[in-house]
Amino acid sequence: MRLVWTVGLVSAGLSSKVLANQWNMPVGVTDVSREIHSLHMIIFWICVAIGVVVFGALFYSLFRYRRSRGARASNFHEHTTLEIVWTVVPLLILVAMAIPATATLKKMYDTSEADLDVMITGQQWRWRYSYLGEEVAFTSNLATPRSQVEGKSAKSENYLLEVDEPLVLPVGQKVRLLMTSDDVIHSWWVPDLAVKQDAVPGFVNENWVRINEPGIYRGQCAELCGKDHAFMPVVVKAVEPPEFESWLAQRKEAAAQAALGVDREWALEELMTRGEQVYATICASCHMPDGQGSPPAFPALAGNQTMLDDADYHIETVINGVSGSAMPAFRSTLNAVELAAVITYERNAWGNDTGEAIQPARIAELIDSP
Amino acid sequence: MWRVIQSVLAAFFGVQKESRRTEDFTHGRGFVFIVVGLVMAALLVGLLVLVASLAAE
Repeated sequence: MRLVWTVGLVSAGLSSKVLANQWNMPVGVTDVSREIHSLHMIIFWICVAIGVVVFGALFYSLFRYRRSRGARASNFHEHTTLEIVWTVVPLLILVAMAIPATATLKKMYDTSEADLDVMITGQQWRWRYSYLGEEVAFTSNLATPRSQVEGKSAKSENYLLEVDEPLVLPVGQKVRLLMTSDDVIHSWWVPDLAVKQDAVPGFVNENWVRINEPGIYRGQCAELCGKDHAFMPVVVKAVEPPEFESWLAQRKEAAAQAALGVDREWALEELMTRGEQVYATICASCHMPDGQGSPPAFPALAGNQTMLDDADYHIETVINGVSGSAMPAFRSTLNAVELAAVITYERNAWGNDTGEAIQPARIAELIDSP
Repeated sequence: MWRVIQSVLAAFFGVQKESRRTEDFTHGRGFVFIVVGLVMAALLVGLLVLVASLAAE
């Protein structure tokens, strides 16, 4: 009796702990995610029922017909009817589970009649979002400060799950997500949206969401993609359609302003300020905040004579990367102003006092003609 | 021929009577079982493709 109580208490405690800690699959905020969740629960309870019947029969037989009570084994070899029964029953259970699962899968893969198309490109180690037909595109970088990663300051609530620019989507509209990658295989995963799709270089995978409730939904890269795989989170901000429209208009305006900035002459100070921000979000994870790098994989930039003597070599390396090394090409990740600013910063920070200002117009010429 | 088909179906299902198995192994010809087995496997694949395309509609 005491044993029964102990087992009962432990299992009750465990199940409440599982629910309280949200260890189960989330219900999510789309119709498809709710459907996937209920499918998951139905199949879970079918497995529980099978487990109870099978292990119940096993333990009952072991206990009731134990040798000390004089039980004797019945040694029969063949029982065709029984064999047919235990083959047909699992077959029927599997078919019964496959019917609702197929219906849900069909909905998940129906990307037709979308209101909005968003291209999602995985890059080592950030996501790039492009609103197709809207001329709005940006990269979404980890916003958690390095001091938290290195344990030098207290970790924030959304540690490693926060970005500088979230993907903004309208609620109630069908958004088609087109996924690809610039380098290696990544996977765009947001549990609350029930989307986990591989982003494969050279392929475009499709998925879609129609979010029901406004809110912020967080996720991560789900395919091991290199050194900073854990540092490229996904943040989706779902807003009401009017708010989305005004956000999109604002982004278009900002993009037009940035295009104007390319042609004008920039002051060294201005480029340095901008470059410092870009360096911290993009370059510092490998070349280190102090420009010392981690040789031999990531060379030092501070006091790097080859780089300082030849500005063209420096520009070429940042724009096109170095084939066969860890240095990626940044021509599609950063715009001309950001590239010019970060190159200027690298040529003047940490005692690299060349005094040179690399102008955005010079970079624009190079990235517009590949 | 019907007996061969029955035996191949039993093999697909995974359950066969011992008496039938002994009979097949003493009187049947292996070649016939192999040919019928291949033809029926092709039919099974065709059937599954048909079911899948109906479900996808």
